[in-house]
Amino acid sequence: MNVDVALFAYLADYQPDGLGGRAPRSFALEADATIASVIESLGLPDEPRIVFVNGKHAEEPDVLHEGDRLAIFPPVAGG
Amino acid sequence: MAQILRVNMTDLSISREEVPAAWHKYSGRAITDAIIYRDVPPDADPLGPDNELVIAPGILAGTNAPNGGRLSIGAKSPLTGGIKESNSGGQAALGLAHLGIAALIVSGKPADPSALYQLTIEADGSTKLDRVDEWAGLGNYPLADAIKATRPEDDRYSAITNGPAGEMLARSAGIAVSDPKGYPNRFAGRGGLGAVMGSKGLKAIVISDKGIGSIPHADKDAFVAASRRFTEALKSHGVSGTGLPMYGTNVLMNILSEAGGLPTRNFSSGTFEGADAIGGERQRDIILERGGRSNHGCQTGCVIQCSRYWVDTAGEYVTKGPEYETAWSFGANCGVDNLDKIADLDRACGDLGLDTIEMGAAVAVAMDGGLASFGDADAALALLNSGISGTGDGRLLWDGAEAIGTKLGVEHIPVVKHQAMPAYDPRSVQGIGVTYATTTQGADHTAGYTITSNILSVGGVVDPLSPEGQATLSSNLQIATAMLDSLGLCIFVAFPVLDIPAAFTAIHEMMEAHTGETWTADDLMTLGKEVLTMERLYNAKAGFTAADDRLPGWMRTAELPPHNVVFTVSDEDLDSVFSFVPETAAAMGLS
Repeated sequence: MNVDVALFAYLADYQPDGLGGRAPRSFALEADATIASVIESLGLPDEPRIVFVNGKHAEEPDVLHEGDRLAIFPPVAGG
Repeated sequence: MAQILRVNMTDLSISREEVPAAWHKYSGRAITDAIIYRDVPPDADPLGPDNELVIAPGILAGTNAPNGGRLSIGAKSPLTGGIKESNSGGQAALGLAHLGIAALIVSGKPADPSALYQLTIEADGSTKLDRVDEWAGLGNYPLADAIKATRPEDDRYSAITNGPAGEMLARSAGIAVSDPKGYPNRFAGRGGLGAVMGSKGLKAIVISDKGIGSIPHADKDAFVAASRRFTEALKSHGVSGTGLPMYGTNVLMNILSEAGGLPTRNFSSGTFEGADAIGGERQRDIILERGGRSNHGCQTGCVIQCSRYWVDTAGEYVTKGPEYETAWSFGANCGVDNLDKIADLDRACGDLGLDTIEMGAAVAVAMDGGLASFGDADAALALLNSGISGTGDGRLLWDGAEAIGTKLGVEHIPVVKHQAMPAYDPRSVQGIGVTYATTTQGADHTAGYTITSNILSVGGVVDPLSPEGQATLSSNLQIATAMLDSLGLCIFVAFPVLDIPAAFTAIHEMMEAHTGETWTADDLMTLGKEVLTMERLYNAKAGFTAADDRLPGWMRTAELPPHNVVFTVSDEDLDSVFSFVPETAAAMGLS
């Protein structure tokens, strides 16, 4: 299945193509792939993260589905 | 002991008062509230002689407490009609604290409405009022230059200034506070306090603290140890240690758009296709490409360093930030995806002395009403600048989103208690809707920043799309925020404080070591409740009821894409937020 993955702030440097930026990249994944498996394959740093799937909060063990948009942020805030 | 400095603009007298013994734990927002509660009749005309403008540092200002130098400015608001505390960074709180001034009260009103004054407080404690009529109509930036020309070259001073919008009594006028480089770019922006300053004929306050060092502590060693632990907590947390210094507040743009909570084109959508073009990551890249510096503190003693300057293509200073709220208000909310255009609008507001949140919301409402097209930043700037004429739609715009929206017959005007909503849509971030609806301040995100748990996974997680748990979340955060505002702490310390127990402990340890009085964790929370109790009682006397603690009705019926949601927190939950008030009022002897 294919899933769009967007990485934000300094996590953008972990896009496999090395081009950075926040634009989503299409990932071809095994059926039943989890968010955690994507994070592991990207090699994201071991720190708290904020994860959305299709604009809603998601947990890292959650299974992804065809056409999902996965967005991952490091700890950020403002106001 | 610190004293209250009173400046009476009716007879131009300046006097000093002792701080009442009952207020020995009050500073910042607590003391501005206590003074307004005591002195200003709830039915007073906000622009009349009975209103008071109260300016106060926190107890920790002027010490080495990290992020302890916020400034509270209070009055009865000409925008909301209720009590107001507007909170600013910049250098002035340090200056007042160094001079032993717990609060500065500006009362009365000059007989000559065209007279303009500067109040000067010198480092030796002497004070004076000078006529500065020649500065009428001067913007905050040329005013800063004019003030500088009057000061000795080796002076160290801060300035609190009022732009033309405040002189013209615009209900969205804010008060500028100088930053460490002297730029008038930090603001007590919300609630029209610039109009209160203007009504009193006050153009500028200059505070010199040249040669005055750090304020002594009751127990210096204990204070140094506690403040060191507090600094470590701020620097170790991902938000205050990395995210904010690297990207500034505008790092929120992409995440709010992702979550469907970024109000776009006058609150008609929760995502903006141009979010990344105006977000914190792109902002950082552009500033660095142009040779600017991407982070600094807005005041001495800040260890978070979330401020930045926007520079033009030649690398020259244009304005601060823009901060997230401004990048949103003139950006996504007006359909504008260009940071240079947003910076020009921010600079115009900074010079005129206007609240960027209210102005962005008002321009978007005006666009909705057909005065300009969404996305047309040049038309937005022309409309904003046209207010200086004193007539027409531009001047009405300066009175806020409700004023211009009502004239144009716009259906969706995003205000509570007449004040425009900030950069989070309450339909997809339900907790902030509780804060907008119930806070004493009119729609205000900082009053109880539920974005923490709703979006950012700080201090726990509460589903932003569900009504469950939002009232409790908002209530607890409103109490904690009132406490932080009353110590002079920057509310961005809340991010580590919510996650790191040692950070909260360090706050009351710093308070005890600095003051020599007992400050327990309960004392801190009681302080927050007392502040909110004074505000609730004042607003009730000014005529506010439960009906004022509501979002506009359309937020319950007009679905917000992309989640297609409406606001669903019950009225019963909204009315539970201040359930502690009767008990706290009784304990305070207030009714």
